[in-house]
This record gives sequence, C-alpha cells and structure tokens, in this order.
Amino acid sequence: MNSNPYRIGSFAVFTTFIIIIFSTVLMPMVLFQPKPTDTRNNYNLESSAGDALRGRQIYVREGCFYCHSQFTRLQDRGYGPLVKAGDFVYEAPHVLGTARTGPDLTNEGGRFPSQWQKAHLIEPRSVKPGSIMPSFSYLNDRDMNDLVCYIQTLGNGRTVSAYVEAPDEYMPVTPSGQALLARRHVDTNSDAASNAGRGIFTQNCAACHGLEGWGNGPNSITLEKKPANFSRPFYKQYSDQMWFYRISEGVPGTRMPRFGETLTEEQRWYLVAYLKSLPQDKEVTINSLAQLNKLTPTKLPVLTKQEWEPHSGGH
Amino acid sequence: MQSSFIDKFLSNEPGSASRNFLLSALWWSLWAMGAGLIAGIEFSAPDLIHNIPQLSMPHLRMWHVNGVAIGWLSMAYVGSIYYMVPSLCKNKLWSERLGNFTMWAWNIVMIGAFANLLNGNTEGREYAELPALLDYMVVVALITIAINVYGTVATRNVKKLYVSLWYFLGSMFWFPLVYIIGQRTFVALPGLNDGIVGWFYGHNILGMWFTTMGVGMMYYLLPRLTKAPLYSHGLSMLGFWGIALFYAPTGTHHITQSPVPEWLKAIAIISSVFLFVPVITVLTNFFMTMKGKWGLVASDMTLRFAITSAGFYLITCMQGPFQATRWVNWYLHFSQWVVGHAHLALLGTFSFISTSAFYYVMPRLTGRDWYSMGLIRQHYWLKFLGFLLMMISLTIAGLIQAAGWAFGMPVDQWSLQIRPYWFLRAISGVMIVLGQFIFAYNVYKTLYGKQVETKKSASMEAIKA
Repeated sequence: MNSNPYRIGSFAVFTTFIIIIFSTVLMPMVLFQPKPTDTRNNYNLESSAGDALRGRQIYVREGCFYCHSQFTRLQDRGYGPLVKAGDFVYEAPHVLGTARTGPDLTNEGGRFPSQWQKAHLIEPRSVKPGSIMPSFSYLNDRDMNDLVCYIQTLGNGRTVSAYVEAPDEYMPVTPSGQALLARRHVDTNSDAASNAGRGIFTQNCAACHGLEGWGNGPNSITLEKKPANFSRPFYKQYSDQMWFYRISEGVPGTRMPRFGETLTEEQRWYLVAYLKSLPQDKEVTINSLAQLNKLTPTKLPVLTKQEWEPHSGGH
Repeated sequence: MQSSFIDKFLSNEPGSASRNFLLSALWWSLWAMGAGLIAGIEFSAPDLIHNIPQLSMPHLRMWHVNGVAIGWLSMAYVGSIYYMVPSLCKNKLWSERLGNFTMWAWNIVMIGAFANLLNGNTEGREYAELPALLDYMVVVALITIAINVYGTVATRNVKKLYVSLWYFLGSMFWFPLVYIIGQRTFVALPGLNDGIVGWFYGHNILGMWFTTMGVGMMYYLLPRLTKAPLYSHGLSMLGFWGIALFYAPTGTHHITQSPVPEWLKAIAIISSVFLFVPVITVLTNFFMTMKGKWGLVASDMTLRFAITSAGFYLITCMQGPFQATRWVNWYLHFSQWVVGHAHLALLGTFSFISTSAFYYVMPRLTGRDWYSMGLIRQHYWLKFLGFLLMMISLTIAGLIQAAGWAFGMPVDQWSLQIRPYWFLRAISGVMIVLGQFIFAYNVYKTLYGKQVETKKSASMEAIKA
C-alpha cells in the first residue's frame, strides 16, 4: 500500500508535538531556576513536638492540598505577605493547591496555638462552627503531632511588621492615595477634630458600636457578626488610612455599611480622629491614688458558640 | 487444557477485547462515581462518616478522579476504538489476544489504584496520584494499545484515513509521552517547576487524550447514527490541526496567579484563547452534519447522548478560554466554578460520548438488542438532569466563593452561604449514580438475560467485510 499521502501528516504531528514539549516543558526547566529566598518555609528548626518534614508527607497523604492552597495573591486580604518564586525551591511535590474550599495556608504557622490546630484536626466543628472540613481523628499521635508541627512551620520565614493595612489605593504609594492625602485638611491627631467626630459617631455608629465604642450598642444583640469593640488593643495599630478605608468601604459579610456613600470625605476624617482617641480597655485614667484599688474589673461576657469574635481584618 | 486456559483469559474471539474493555469501564464507573457521591455527601454532612480513613473526603476524591479518568472514561475509550478502528479500516483488530492482555493489565492497575488511593498511598500530584509501579503498568498498557491500533491501521483494507483515525492515531502517539512526562516518577523537581510540569500533564490528559479521543468518537458516531455524510472534510482537518497545535501548551493557565514565569503564562493563555478556532470548527462540522436530521434525537437514544455531549462540549469550550484569561481567572480561580467546569468537560461531554459509544457498540459486538429502551431513557434523563443540577449548583457556589475572596471576606462567612449548594450537589450525585446503576442493570440483563441472538452473525459479517 502506498502511504505517501500520510507521511507529511505524521511528520507534522511529530514535529508539532516535540516543539510544544520543548517550549513548555524543557524551556521552563532551563530558563526558570529561581534562587532560594530567605522567606521560604524553614523546616530545619529544632522542635520537640514533631518532625515538620514528615508532617509535610502527612499533609500530602491526607490530601489537604485539594482544599487549601499555599500561595498568596496580590488581591488576597488578610493572608499575610506575598510569596516569591524562590520560596518554593525545596517544595516537592508542590502543594500550591488548585481550589480554596478552605482558607489559604501560606502563612498559617503561628495563627493559632498548636492545641487549637490539633482540636481542629480532630473535631473541626468544635472550634470552628459551620466548618465543613473532614475530621482527621483517625491519625495516630505521631502523625498528628508532625502534621501540626508542619502547619506551624508554614510561613515561618516571612515576618510582618503591620498585619492590617488599607489597600494600596488608599496609601500614599499610589496616585489615588496621594490625592486622598492631598485633599485632607483635617488634623486627625487634634482634639478639635476628635470632638467634631464625636457627633458623627453618635449619629451613625453608636447604634451598633455603642456610645463608648465597645461594640455593645442596642443593635448589636440582633447581629450575628458582632460589631467591633474599638477598645481592643488590636485597633491601636490601625493607621489613619485603614480607619478611613474601613469607614468608607464597610466590612463585607457584616452589617457594617459603606459610609463612603453617605458621609463626605471631611466627615470621615473627623470620624477617624474620634475613633483614634477612644481609650484602650486597659488604659483607665484615675484622678487620685485613693482610687487605685477601688476599680471594678471589666467583666467580659462568656463567649458561646454563637457569639463570634468581632471581625478582625480577615481570616 | 493449556490452550483453553489461554482462550479463556486471552480470548482470540473477534470483538472480545472491545466488549471486555467496555464492561470493565462500566464496572469501575460504578465504584468511582459512587466514591464521588459519598465525597459529595460529606460536604453537606461532614461528620457522617467518622474515623474511617478510607472514606474520608480527600481519599475518596483521589479515587474518584483516578477512577473516572483512568477507569471509566479511558477504558470506555479504548473499548470503543477497538471496535471503531477495525470498522473504519474494514479489517479485524491487529491482535485480539494483545487487546485482552491490555484489558487485564488495565484492570490490575485499577485494583491497585483502588487499594492504594483509598489508603492514602499517593504521589501527591493532582491527576498523577498513582504510585510508581502502577504508572509503569499504565505506560505498558498504553504502548500495547498503540501497537494494536497502529497495527490495525497499517493492515487496513481502505486507502483513505477517516478523520476519526487521525484523532485516534494522534492520541495514541502523544498521550503515552504526556503520561510519562506527567508522572515525574524519577525526578524531584523544584516546587514551581513541579507545578508547571504537573499542570502540563493535568491539562493534557484532557487535551491530548479525553478531548482528541472523544472528538474522534463523535466524528465516528454522528455520521453513522444519522446516516448523513460528514459536512466537511476540510473543516475536520482544520479542527484536528488546531487542537494539535493549541491544546498542548495551555497547562500553565491553572497557575496564572502563582509566581511562575510571565512568558509561560502568556503562551498558555494565548493558546487557550486560540482554542476557540478548532472548537468552533469541530462543532460547526458536527451541527452542519446534523442539518435536517435533528428529529432523530427524539427517538434515537444513542444519538441523543452524542448530541448532548456535543452541546456540553460547546459550553465547556466557551467557558474554558474565557476563564483562562487573566482578568476572569483573577476572580474565578480557586472556586467551585472550576469544579463545575471540570465536570462539564469530563461528565457532561466525555462521559456522555462514552455512554453513546457504549450504547452503539455493545449490540453490534454481541448481536443482542437492548433489554429495555425505557431504562435507557431513564439513564439519559437521570444523567442529564442530575448533571445540570450539579453544574448549576457548583457554578452558583463558585460565584459566591469568588465574591468572598474578591471582597476579602473571611472563609467562615461565605462557607455558610454555600451550604445549600453543597446539598443540591449531593442530590445531583444521587441522580447520576442512580442513572449509572440503571445503565449497568440494563447491560447485565441485555448480555446475560434470556434473549434470542439475532444480529450477531450479520454484524460480524459487517466487521469482516
């Protein structure tokens, strides 16, 4: 039989395929060889609790990477610093992940105590109501400790100075952030501005956040996600722009509205000045030494499963 | 004695390899789809099964993915081409014994996969989870299939190769290579390179195997079922070369947002968008072939499965290039939308075309008529409606999730909002698996129930002629 008509065809199929393999498999191997960075996960730390590298094998064996990714993206808020290409040099097989049915675990290490992680692996619903994570109660002690040790190692090479910051469009690093700062004429550290903000707070915020900003306004009892308690030390690290961003854009998933729609920029800056002046719960002012021992301690309510922590900027 | 033993396990009877492959595929589909159903239910009731590692969601998922991809779809494909290639070449399969040997090897791989993956013995690479020994066996099986198919084509009794054969021969050339590259058995690549090669394989098991084989089967089935000539041979060649050129480099679009090189992302995304060309070409050819024959869909169930598959192929391939672009991927990636898309391709398109081929090939191999047309209709409607429900619920869940990520919402907030859609997905799973069991019952009654053999001699004559 004469097979000449198909000789060119089979040659073309062969060539095409080899070119494609060359350009998308071999070329990346040669051209893309990032140097290991210091921000990668450090598995060599001494730990009496378990073996992080063996924990990584457990992580792979139990298929954690099907629901948890391990790379942060530019647009992710509240998941810690961005990854670099060099962070992954020693990560084989890769656990980048393909779906996020659960949270991203790039910087999970240290977010929760090890005992919490263990409880969460054994009975997820007991510490995270509503979670659909499978229970891994069948892991033996060694596997469990190694796995928790691995989780606590994630992101240990990446350190952060500020955990919560407004998106770039509010910060002076972008033209829009610079314009925002240029338009601002309110001195957010002044008493006058703070006083001006008090009235705005009473009218717009107090119904949920309470007159003193403790998150205990009359509306708060009806809300599933409780309003923020501004006396928590957490809020003392908020920058002006972060306050402004939260007020303007609200908190998605809660009843906190986008006040950018109703308040002018000037009013929002006054509000920022007032919120910055709210006292921290441990900072109590006394007028004389005689009052020193007479203070009644602040009684915090007992947290039940229904009363979750106020929103804390992600996670 | 010796020869009868060999005849029993490595039968030389014409059509036996095809039949055995199809029946094995059906058998593994029940186990793999069943595992998918249990995993789906566990999204709604996470504490339903407790303390059994083999039945925890991630282990079920590994088995589900490998079971449907390598067990159900691949075996059904091989069974179908073992019938289609000889019928297009007007001769017999090159070696029926070799075909049956491959069938046993493949079934042993599946038993190994079942035992290993459910126990968490995995290489930890998505779509390439099988342990090394099973990888070798798959490669051996693929090479024996390639030998058999190429041997059949080399000894053909017709001069011109029909377009289906182009697709089958192409797939049998490049898929073994893709599989060997994708397993990374001997190498431990640095993390991101591992990801690049992993997604080269993860996408090309679709692009260079499921798509090219499935499209080839559609090219075979549509003209046969409608008794109409193919609309255009030129278009079919354009579609073939388009897929061969543009499909293979697309893998990196799965990790567009990770720190892999930008030029590689650009190649992947541009190729993904270019895939519009072969897809529209192929579908134009299909739908123009159907011109004037659409009425047949009402009565011919085999054709209805095939046309449904072509319809879902259209939707899949409109979604694919769209969600591979950066500005859509930015929003939709990581969400259940992608899971819906994967099911649209593998269940909606390729499982439907495999089922169509099964319904077409089996009576012609055994000479027995289907036991019940009613059961085929039930299978169709359960699978079709079940799949639509799954697709819609996963897509909505994915949009909620994507919005959650885009607005920086904590996971524990949006995860509460998608609980109803997990529940609907579990119901859709029940429908699909029930349909598959009805299918299996129908096959059992057809092959092993009492029935007068009528067509066997005729169809065998047709094969020999």
